Amino acid sequence: MKKLLVVLTAAVVVAITPYVFAQEQATKEAEKPQPKEFGVYKDKNARENHYIPSGWMGDYGDIKLNDQSADNPHSGTTSMQFVYSGKKAQGQGWAGVYWQNPANNWGSKKGGFDLTGMTKLTFWARGAKGAEVIQKFKVGGIKGTYPDSAEIEFGPIELTDTWKEYTINLAGRDLSYISAGFCWVTTSDLNPEGATFYLDDIKFEADLVMKAEVKKSEAMPFYVFADSRSINNHYIPSGWMGDYGDIKYDGASKEDPYLGDTCTKIIYTGLGAQGARWAGIYWQNPANNWGTVDAGFDLSKATKLTFWAKGAKGGERIEEFKVGGSMGEFSDSDSASIGPVILNKEWTQYSIDLKGKDMSYIIGGFCWATNVDVNPEGAMFYLDEIKFE
Amino acid sequence: MNKIKRYRLQATGYRLQAKKVKSLLLVACGLWLVAFLLGMASKPKPKVYIQKLKNGHYQLMVNRKPYIVKGVCYNPIPIGQNHEYDWWSDANKPWIVDGKLMQEMGINTVRFYQAGQNPEDVKKVIRDLYELYGIRTIIGHWLGFWEYPCPFYGDKDFQDRIKKEVLDMINTYKDEPGILFWVLGNENNYSCLGMVNPWSNEEIDKEPDPIKQKNMRYNIYYSFINELAKQIHSIDITHPVALGNGELIGLEIAAQSCPEVDLVACIIYRGKTFGNLFRSLKATFDKPIVLTEFGADSYDAYKDVEDQNMQAFFLESQWRQLYENLANNKEGIGNCLGGTIFEWTDEWWKHNENDPESWKIHDTDSNWSNGSYYFDIKAKGNKNMNEEWFGITAISQEQEFGIDKRIPRKAYYVLREFWKNPTKNLKPKTKKAK
Repeated sequence: MKKLLVVLTAAVVVAITPYVFAQEQATKEAEKPQPKEFGVYKDKNARENHYIPSGWMGDYGDIKLNDQSADNPHSGTTSMQFVYSGKKAQGQGWAGVYWQNPANNWGSKKGGFDLTGMTKLTFWARGAKGAEVIQKFKVGGIKGTYPDSAEIEFGPIELTDTWKEYTINLAGRDLSYISAGFCWVTTSDLNPEGATFYLDDIKFEADLVMKAEVKKSEAMPFYVFADSRSINNHYIPSGWMGDYGDIKYDGASKEDPYLGDTCTKIIYTGLGAQGARWAGIYWQNPANNWGTVDAGFDLSKATKLTFWAKGAKGGERIEEFKVGGSMGEFSDSDSASIGPVILNKEWTQYSIDLKGKDMSYIIGGFCWATNVDVNPEGAMFYLDEIKFE
Repeated sequence: MNKIKRYRLQATGYRLQAKKVKSLLLVACGLWLVAFLLGMASKPKPKVYIQKLKNGHYQLMVNRKPYIVKGVCYNPIPIGQNHEYDWWSDANKPWIVDGKLMQEMGINTVRFYQAGQNPEDVKKVIRDLYELYGIRTIIGHWLGFWEYPCPFYGDKDFQDRIKKEVLDMINTYKDEPGILFWVLGNENNYSCLGMVNPWSNEEIDKEPDPIKQKNMRYNIYYSFINELAKQIHSIDITHPVALGNGELIGLEIAAQSCPEVDLVACIIYRGKTFGNLFRSLKATFDKPIVLTEFGADSYDAYKDVEDQNMQAFFLESQWRQLYENLANNKEGIGNCLGGTIFEWTDEWWKHNENDPESWKIHDTDSNWSNGSYYFDIKAKGNKNMNEEWFGITAISQEQEFGIDKRIPRKAYYVLREFWKNPTKNLKPKTKKAK
């Protein structure tokens, strides 16, 4: 009997020991302090670097990278120097770089980090001359088989010639899977002479003081297009529709702008490149957002959208000028339009009445559309000072 | 008895008589008042009417009870036939099979775009659906929209001919107990923009400003509808008259020139959400609305495969918004009376109406693009709308009860469950408390 008791006791001890051990381990894990920082780039070859600047986009031929620039780094011995020529090597008019893990991962491989608990991303930046404009900085946003759990944008930013710290608020965002830790994008319109700029000390941080951003109603006036280099431009003319091959777009035309240095010049040939017999452009936020990205501006304070327009000859007919109306997973909250409009040869201001409209969520900031039936020989026209008031 | 006493007695008698007369008069007046009030109360109200509530919301009333239109567009064209097929005279009576399935789902209304040629056949369908299944009928009229070369709404002879057709229709069917209301036109307002079936007249042609031209056309068209509505009201006080309209386009003009209509009947394809539709209507033309054409197709043009989940997802979301905007819901605008889904069964002729061979095939090619239906918008050329796949009931080449077999899709069952308890289904989905 005594022997039996000893065996039984031993069996119980053997059976519960792994459980107790596992429990202790779990408690230890829970008690283990969460990391307060997670590096993207600290210094060339630093152990804290977790992502690789491998995702070159758009006019990638316009980009040069020196990832160990010793020219006045913010900290340590190196910073990253980017030289963007703005020469449109691939004909895109924009370029950018994603920091990815692993390198060149566009969502086809599992490489995302769980950054839950981080509430902001901070980085230091400076321009070689100052006044270089970066259209946006980003965290996440990679799609594909293994998509990032969030996409957060920040910008546009006009850089200074001295180091300055910038913060992207990530509080309240789902950071459970981030394979693209950082990104910058800019355009040749914003930097016609190119841009040389430096980045340093890019890192995620767990700052408990950060609070989730509440979407605020934008102050008026709110520009769709002010001037080609203006950081007040909030929408991108990326939504080319119908016979998009019939459109030539110059966002920095110096041919008699209504105000400032430049205006937008559009040539519609009416040749029917895609067989649609009509064409148009949506100004979107972000570029190419057809309601697929949750990124509408709250323009509730707007009572009208005004813009200036003129035809090269006068008599060009635009069937519709429109605000809102983008429909998709994230649809615009309303739409309003005017048209058909026959353009004058002189600059003329037009207004779209927004009174009574729900402008609380607008992805498609502005749009024009016309067709070959009313412009059998095509149309050349100019737009300037497109803004919500 | 002395004189004085006699006079007193006489006076008392007169007083008594006067009192009696007074009482009688009072009773008579009282009776007249009661009779008057009863008469007022028992004056028959229109069988179907729209009630504006104190809070500004609207309710459709049928036999004095609120009625939510839970409907479908009904055009049961069999496989191998096209829109010219006269299904109204089909000996196999497809509406008998369909009506039963509809009733089981919770549908209470069907919408016909226009009545068939033979009034007796049409009446038979209306009666069968109403008497067997309690399903009411909305009847529309195209108002010559598809006539060649175009609908001349600015021409008096054209107007007179259409007016006669419409009034004949009203006179023919107004006494059918199953009728719910009339719809004038469908998307005819698009002809004023010149997008479809453009028309004009001399006066319009003289106007150089295209915006003014457009508004002149709207004014002519909506004034014509107003005149029709007025005439209908003069011969039929028991059914409301709806203005059929594509989206809300042009309704700011209708607000001025078309006050006689009782409601608007809109065609809306906005995907998951109707957006600002109800609020916008309230602000521009304060009339109640029935969405007489909306829905989603069940074919994923991107993956090239049937996707019933996609259709069910859109339809449930759309019905949730319809219910949120019914009367007395604090969250909504209160101007929605319901809707009729497009549509009950697939129509296999629609992709290519000029090729009879294709009417026997369930085409998977898409006809048009709509980014609101975003699951398959990446299809080639962004063409994601499959015109032959809008039915909430599929049809099969297999025959059952003498007609193409009906196979309800997932949307059928999802909406059936939604309608069983719409209040519960309106509540936002939240996590269960621990």
